[in-house]
Amino acid sequence: MTITAGVDIGSTYTKAVLFDGDEILAKAIRPTGFLLTEIARTVFEECLATAEVDADDVAYTIATGIGRHQCDFKDLAATDLTANGRGANFLFPGTRTVLDIGGQTMKAIRVDERGKVKSFRLNDKCAAGTGAFLEKTARYMGYSTEEIGPLMTTSRESVPISGVCAVFAESEVINHLSIGTPPCDIMQGAIESLTGRSVQLMKRAKAEPEFTLVGGILRFDTMAQAVRDRLQKEVNVPEGDLCQYTAALGASILAQQRAALAATGGTARGVGVRVAAP
Amino acid sequence: MPRVFDEWKALPLDEVLGLCRDTLEEADFGPVTRWREAGGKIVGHFQVYFPHEIVHAAGLLPLKVRGAPVEPTHADSRFGSYLCSILKTSLELVLSDTIELDMFVTHPICDAARNLAAVWGRNFQYPCQILYLPQNANSKHTAQYLRDEYDRLLEEVEEIAGRKVTPEDLSRSVALYNRDRALMRELYEIKRETPWLVSAEDAYSLVGIGGMIPVEEHIELMESVLPQLRARTAKAEDRIRVVFEGAFCEQPPLDLIRMVGRSCYVVDDDFMIGLRYIIEDIPAGDDPLMDLAEAYLERSSYSPVQHDNRKPKERMLVERIGGARAEAVVLAAAKMCEPGLEEQVAYVQELEKRGTPYFVNEFEENMTSFSSLELQVETFVENLLFT
Repeated sequence: MTITAGVDIGSTYTKAVLFDGDEILAKAIRPTGFLLTEIARTVFEECLATAEVDADDVAYTIATGIGRHQCDFKDLAATDLTANGRGANFLFPGTRTVLDIGGQTMKAIRVDERGKVKSFRLNDKCAAGTGAFLEKTARYMGYSTEEIGPLMTTSRESVPISGVCAVFAESEVINHLSIGTPPCDIMQGAIESLTGRSVQLMKRAKAEPEFTLVGGILRFDTMAQAVRDRLQKEVNVPEGDLCQYTAALGASILAQQRAALAATGGTARGVGVRVAAP
Repeated sequence: MPRVFDEWKALPLDEVLGLCRDTLEEADFGPVTRWREAGGKIVGHFQVYFPHEIVHAAGLLPLKVRGAPVEPTHADSRFGSYLCSILKTSLELVLSDTIELDMFVTHPICDAARNLAAVWGRNFQYPCQILYLPQNANSKHTAQYLRDEYDRLLEEVEEIAGRKVTPEDLSRSVALYNRDRALMRELYEIKRETPWLVSAEDAYSLVGIGGMIPVEEHIELMESVLPQLRARTAKAEDRIRVVFEGAFCEQPPLDLIRMVGRSCYVVDDDFMIGLRYIIEDIPAGDDPLMDLAEAYLERSSYSPVQHDNRKPKERMLVERIGGARAEAVVLAAAKMCEPGLEEQVAYVQELEKRGTPYFVNEFEENMTSFSSLELQVETFVENLLFT
């Protein structure tokens, strides 16, 4: 059994997974904050403690996410595109398109039957299509992130919220509140706005089924349902909080590949055994 | 001889490297200004191949003119928009009084560079001239021709310096530059053998700073830094080893080098090749000018602007890849750079034939956005790493 680790340093949360080739041995999550190197080590050590293994027992570690280069104990960094592709493929082998709604970015990723990235599209440099947009909308109205899910279940009729700009959306939220619109309907409007952008992004990526949705915001069933409704197609959502760990899981799976290669002398950590043709 | 770059001496290694990066990246050319303020004279030489020893032997500072990350607000009016950035930003440095020269030398490495001396000379009173490097490196008369050309340059330099340069002066300078180049080769050996001990950007800065300070000070800096780099305990990461090719004249922004260096180990490259183009020690002979000329012909690194039938560029690139045990190549070219873009065709064909993975991109010294390019480089690397 080879134990590998995946560490996903995201813009809002940092996640770590220990994987033995078949199943997840441990996982941990913490808000990222400002000390990226330290938080990566913290979640990694929490995983070690949960799985009751030593750091030396971890054959290979891949860091991913926006802060991947700050992880000082990694063997390799990989983009969250690659990591999410592999993670989604492991959880749902039929996946051909992954929609990752992260804290700061949204990505539509087309993958092949092994989970390898074929093409991708990213959202514009704008918070309007990301989890941060929903968090901000909730915060304007005095709700926490964890209250978004329960809040949306009470909505009866959504109100339109600009899908173009999170800054404009703030003033729209204030306008709606000032005329007595219930917060749950405003929240539902924000969800639908975000869903609209995500479906547009998937179209630009020429998405094809099966669709797998990942990212912390997918903890709320209403989000996945809104995408289903908009796409008119079934979508996969990792069970429970796994939707937050997909990239970390994918990184740990990729780490299995590299660990196996290293064990057979196929790589030598920077000393270049795989020599180009002379 | 005034000292111009002493700030690093009391600093720990990481801060020394940071200081070198900042000094190179900030376009105020502090060490050059200090040299000038102390009464020193400066000969600016444009990329790529220049016999620094000739200027040094006369007691002047040879300054590598290699553009800068500045807006060419003055220089834009002197050039067409279809020309590369390095021409404009190099001239901008003197038009904006950031640096002050006593002489400027360019080379006919491309049409634009050949005309640079004339454009430069219309704006300044000091001598601006072209050093005509041989277009045919394979004639039996080439070494003598180049020796005479160096002699002509020496006479101009002597006039600026106000004194004669003896063969002994030249030999001393050759010995110093031999030492400096040996140290740069040692740095590249660290890059090749233990690339996790020195980042691509730090290696680049350590070499680059040598283009703006006296060689004696650069030797001191390198002699202090190299043992400290070797003593580092950084963790070796499992990264793809790449050769970066295409920075022989205009230099990529430091952020671009940093970005590539985060995804791969840059184990060899042609960054600032003009500062380290002599690849072996120049033997001490009776005629140092002839020794320099022969070194250019027989002991020099290739580039798209050196014309030598014995050195087909694509074959030289393959040798560079093999020597560095690289797995892939980042093929870059500066925007509007004719020699660079032209050579890419031959490089690509050769790499295709050999099945060596490569990544092609264009850069400009003033580019500021790298996120999209970084994603492309990383995706390229991950396609090689993961099946």
